[in-house]
Amino acid sequence: MNHSQPVVLGEMPSLSKLYVNAAASAARRRLLGGSSGKTRLPAVSHEVRGVRADVENLTAYQHLVGETASDTLPAGYVHSLAFPVSMSVMNREDFPLPLLGMIHLKNRIEQLVPIQFAQELDVRSWAENLAGHRAGTQLDIVSEVRAHSSNDVLWRGVSTYLAKGVFLPGIDKPGSPNGATGASEFVPPDPTALWQVNLDAGRNYAAVSGDFNPIHLSVLSAKALGLRGSIAHGMYLASRALADVGAVKAESFAWNVTFEAPVFLPARVALDITTVQADSGNWERSDYVAWNPRSGRRHFTGSVAALT
Amino acid sequence: MAAEDMTTDGPLESATHPRTTRSAVIVGGNRIPFARTGGAYVKSSNQDMLTAALDGLIARFGLQDERIGEVAAGAVLKHSRDFNLTREAVLGSALSPETPAYDLQQACATGLETVIGLSNKIKLGQIDSGIAGGVDSASDAPIAVSEGLRDILLDLNRAKTTVQKLKIISRIRPKDLAPDAPNTGEPRTGLSMGEHQALTTAQWKISREAQDELAYNSHRNLASAYERGFFDDLITPYRGLNKDSNLRADTTLEKLSTLKPVFGKTLGSEATMTAGNSTPLTDGASTVLLATEEWADAHGLPKLATVLDGEAAAVDFVHGKDGLLMAPVFAVPRLLARHGLTFEDIDFFEIHEAFAGTVLSTLAAWEDEEFGRTRLGLGGALGKVDRAKLNVNGSSLAAGHPFAATGGRIVASLAKMLHEKGTVDGRPARGLISVCAAGGQGVVAILEAA
Repeated sequence: MNHSQPVVLGEMPSLSKLYVNAAASAARRRLLGGSSGKTRLPAVSHEVRGVRADVENLTAYQHLVGETASDTLPAGYVHSLAFPVSMSVMNREDFPLPLLGMIHLKNRIEQLVPIQFAQELDVRSWAENLAGHRAGTQLDIVSEVRAHSSNDVLWRGVSTYLAKGVFLPGIDKPGSPNGATGASEFVPPDPTALWQVNLDAGRNYAAVSGDFNPIHLSVLSAKALGLRGSIAHGMYLASRALADVGAVKAESFAWNVTFEAPVFLPARVALDITTVQADSGNWERSDYVAWNPRSGRRHFTGSVAALT
Repeated sequence: MAAEDMTTDGPLESATHPRTTRSAVIVGGNRIPFARTGGAYVKSSNQDMLTAALDGLIARFGLQDERIGEVAAGAVLKHSRDFNLTREAVLGSALSPETPAYDLQQACATGLETVIGLSNKIKLGQIDSGIAGGVDSASDAPIAVSEGLRDILLDLNRAKTTVQKLKIISRIRPKDLAPDAPNTGEPRTGLSMGEHQALTTAQWKISREAQDELAYNSHRNLASAYERGFFDDLITPYRGLNKDSNLRADTTLEKLSTLKPVFGKTLGSEATMTAGNSTPLTDGASTVLLATEEWADAHGLPKLATVLDGEAAAVDFVHGKDGLLMAPVFAVPRLLARHGLTFEDIDFFEIHEAFAGTVLSTLAAWEDEEFGRTRLGLGGALGKVDRAKLNVNGSSLAAGHPFAATGGRIVASLAKMLHEKGTVDGRPARGLISVCAAGGQGVVAILEAA
């Protein structure tokens, strides 16, 4: 998609205001009934310029997900820097899907060049790939982070979300649930790590990432949105997996995660990381899978792979 | 080098094979009996126990007011106030207050590493005498305030005005008041040491029966060592204990086989690790007196054994390449190779029993042809340890394992065993020590009868 002229926002949008706005439009939709009537994604991108990490917030984030507090921004931290810009796109009047209740299906991040914490950054986000899903409608939110006033992309993220139960006219459902390997076939391997994810993990990650989606905050707020309890942020879990992969990874890497069963808090999560080496003996890829050690249900799978 | 030197093996020999002229001898050791946690030493601190072990050593070898070259000891579970634990224990002992001391920490290898470090200083000529040791209390373990409260208290300490202070205090929430107790989980994996070993035990297909048998032998061997008075000059009673309180002289294989598994219960394979074939949390302290031969002779003290050499290793356990406690598997072949030795040249094997599964997985790896070839870089398996030479006077499963105190226990006992054995086929009797440690580390050493 070509966005020659992004909408430049004067400042980083406030996520709490965006959530309030999303809740209001959800209520309006319930009141007026039906969907938004729109069947196209806004053909526009949003951009915030001169973004900089807050060092205190960065340290808190790094400690929370198990990263060493280094001066390089973790790839997941850049995601949380870009997240308000992405949210503002999904909050537009002409955005065809309800923001609240969207499910994060998968995420792909390319950390092309390491980013230092004091670097000034320009963050641009847009929506693309509106498509049918057997359970609703999915789309990609793409974000790119550049060095300020430069065309060098340092980081690129693609988040795939599902609006469950929303079917837009003119967008066909896929014929069959292809590509998805049945969770029933999953046989848990020996774990390489066991996480204790406490009840306050959702609130703690909200505090460092700014993602105050009510489904993560408390049992009550999650129940209000139809869940049986609060669930961990997908990006919190994926960021912990990235931290567990550790120092072995290359400077430029692609980081993938596909979410399956949500992690209801509190929880114990078992994780296995498998390292794949190239013939040269160098690190090529680390694959990870996480599951519930009690039930054997898979929570997420993913990989961190060297970019060449 | 002058050409004529080439014809004699003297100078050339010493140049290409540097050999120290001094050896570090083990004069003897002293420990307090090891107590199960919450038992006889429930209120004793690390400093109390280390001082008790030290005072027993001083009394045994007449070291009152003696200025020792250096004392090195450590603890794994340590209070922040114990930043100078060993020096404080020295000041509280009968040694000369002019004896310097330092703390060392290498998890469960702490005790053995203090022996190696001080013996190196002795060999280098930096000191003539040294006391190595270690102590740990699982009963008197440090408990920290929660991270939230700690953060608030540190901010409070930095605040200047009353308004700032009140603002900071108002941040305290009830959940901040919950204390943060230490646990045995590995920081990078969240798996406890037992869970890690359960993975390794399953990988090497170690049976429940084999583990119970090793535990049974440990208790039987330790009990008979006590019976024949082996520990009479190695232990000083403390707080009413004169024997390790974990020792079950009357245990049987039947009793051990009835215990329920405690580790590895969520793994696919059968859980085999019980409280009987795993070491319990223990309190205790140990010390070892090291010196040059001249210093020992001048003080009219015995020379039991020499510290030949030591080696440390570490494994990449975080993503499961090797088991957490398998580092000694790699350290031992390196150490043996450095001295041109094989298992045939070793008369006693002291392999620390963190878990029976640890010892048996270690032995299995050394006996494995493919592992020897692909991982140890040997022509085949490293070798088979003669079970009749393994932990002959019992080890940690029976005695207990106060983390940093285990090295000193093993070194002092092995030195005495070597001294009793004397020579084997005209060479000094030799013993190999292997200690695994948290963080995927291991330290091993070879002692020879002096």
